[in-house]
Amino acid sequence: MTYILFALSVLLVMGFVGFSSKPSPIYGGLALIVSGVIGCVIVLSCGGAYMGLMMFLVYLGGMMVVFGYTTAMAIEEYPETWGSGFEVLGGLLVGLMMEVMLVLWVLSLDEAVEVVVSFSDTGDWVIFEGEGSGLIRGDSIGAGALYDYGRWLVVVAGWTLFVGVYVVIEIVRGN
Amino acid sequence: MNPLAQPIIYTTMITGTLITTLSSHWFLAWTGLEMNMLAFIPILMKKTSLRSTEAATKYFLIQSTASMVLMMAIISNNLLSGCWTTTNYISQPPSLMMTTALAMKLGMAPFHFWVPEVTQGTPLTSGLLLLTWQKLAPISIMYQIHPSINTHILLTLSTLSIAVGSWGGLNQTQLRKILGYSSITHMGWMMMTLVYNPATTIFYLTTYIILTTTMFLTLNLSSSTTTLMLSRTWNKSTHLAPLMAPILMSLGGLPPLTGFLPKWIIIQELTMNNNFLIPSIMTIMTLLNLYFYMRLIYTTSLTLFPTSNNTKMTWQLENTKPTLLIPPLIITSTLLLPISPLLLTLH
Repeated sequence: MTYILFALSVLLVMGFVGFSSKPSPIYGGLALIVSGVIGCVIVLSCGGAYMGLMMFLVYLGGMMVVFGYTTAMAIEEYPETWGSGFEVLGGLLVGLMMEVMLVLWVLSLDEAVEVVVSFSDTGDWVIFEGEGSGLIRGDSIGAGALYDYGRWLVVVAGWTLFVGVYVVIEIVRGN
Repeated sequence: MNPLAQPIIYTTMITGTLITTLSSHWFLAWTGLEMNMLAFIPILMKKTSLRSTEAATKYFLIQSTASMVLMMAIISNNLLSGCWTTTNYISQPPSLMMTTALAMKLGMAPFHFWVPEVTQGTPLTSGLLLLTWQKLAPISIMYQIHPSINTHILLTLSTLSIAVGSWGGLNQTQLRKILGYSSITHMGWMMMTLVYNPATTIFYLTTYIILTTTMFLTLNLSSSTTTLMLSRTWNKSTHLAPLMAPILMSLGGLPPLTGFLPKWIIIQELTMNNNFLIPSIMTIMTLLNLYFYMRLIYTTSLTLFPTSNNTKMTWQLENTKPTLLIPPLIITSTLLLPISPLLLTLH
């Protein structure tokens, strides 16, 4: 499992390199989707089935669809890919090279992959491994607790999201 | 901005600051900062133009970067201590990140470049909110974490802010840029004694807000944004031309005026901690500040620029802007020094 996690982490960073080398937004979004999926799979392979699924649904299902739609609306005829410009290609290659060097350095260590994927000192930080009620898993009870004990937090979050949309509409509305 | 849209936006801006100030939980403190930042963007773009759009974009980028660093600091603090409470002691690495993030939000020295640019791109009233109200939330967090802030880092940031703010304002002709640089200097002064005595920081903040509000409202009365426009104050609102001088002197911190009081208290606090070199550097650097305020005074009331004859009659026209707040603000921002014994008893 540690090797799977290690490989996934490398892929995650490569996805980040993909969008931070600044191609056209539509390809940047594509790279973000790839690294988002890999992030969900990492959480999933640590045992956080519920959180991984929620992340996948909300982040990719909701946000990225809207992002993809809006970039598709505003796209130019020949969007810049990773290969079409020297700067983007250079950024991508430098990023990938650094990641490869880091991987080689980590693999040359004695404890190899444990350095990267050792969660021993983080306790139940990666995923929630609570008691649960015997019938339902602990982490999905958390969603219920959010709407029960954290109801005012949900109100604040909802209001902020509403204001976010409101502000965006107010800004781009024009005069 | 559409007048109908204003209630929701201003409410959210104020609520955000209040949530940050009142919360004892790191997550809500962060949420408040985000709400505040989101709601402030349309306020910056009150008059839509390329400049205000650029200013709002810059503001959004720097503030969201700072929020990201702050969130990272909060999470690593939680990882190390298992605590979400703001008043808990924070260990050094998260504390350093947090100080950096808040310095970014306040526009202190190595992260100060956005302040003059954003202030310059917005209307005067939005600039007023940017330089006063928007400082409250980050400073309240700084105030809450002051026992765990690294003194050396904070003193370095503050000294740099004072130096950079004073140097940057030299030779500027744009009033909003000058006020932005003056804000950087004042932030440096404010943060100087945060670790030694946080009450002085709050006192400096209060005085700074009063002084800046007076300055902005006075400029707003004649809609002056450049030094040249300021030189026409004598025929637009004659009685304000001589009053501009004490306000600016007070902002620079000259002795018989209000602005001297917080500077005096901060210098005293530092010398009581056997810190003599830094206050000397600070006062010398602030002289530069006083120099560019002096240039503003010179153009406002010490000289008459050549003007065409028809501009000399504008004092006859009736003023349409509200002036209710200006007289009390001018009085508080110039004549408050004699109440210093009262402040001592309150403290």
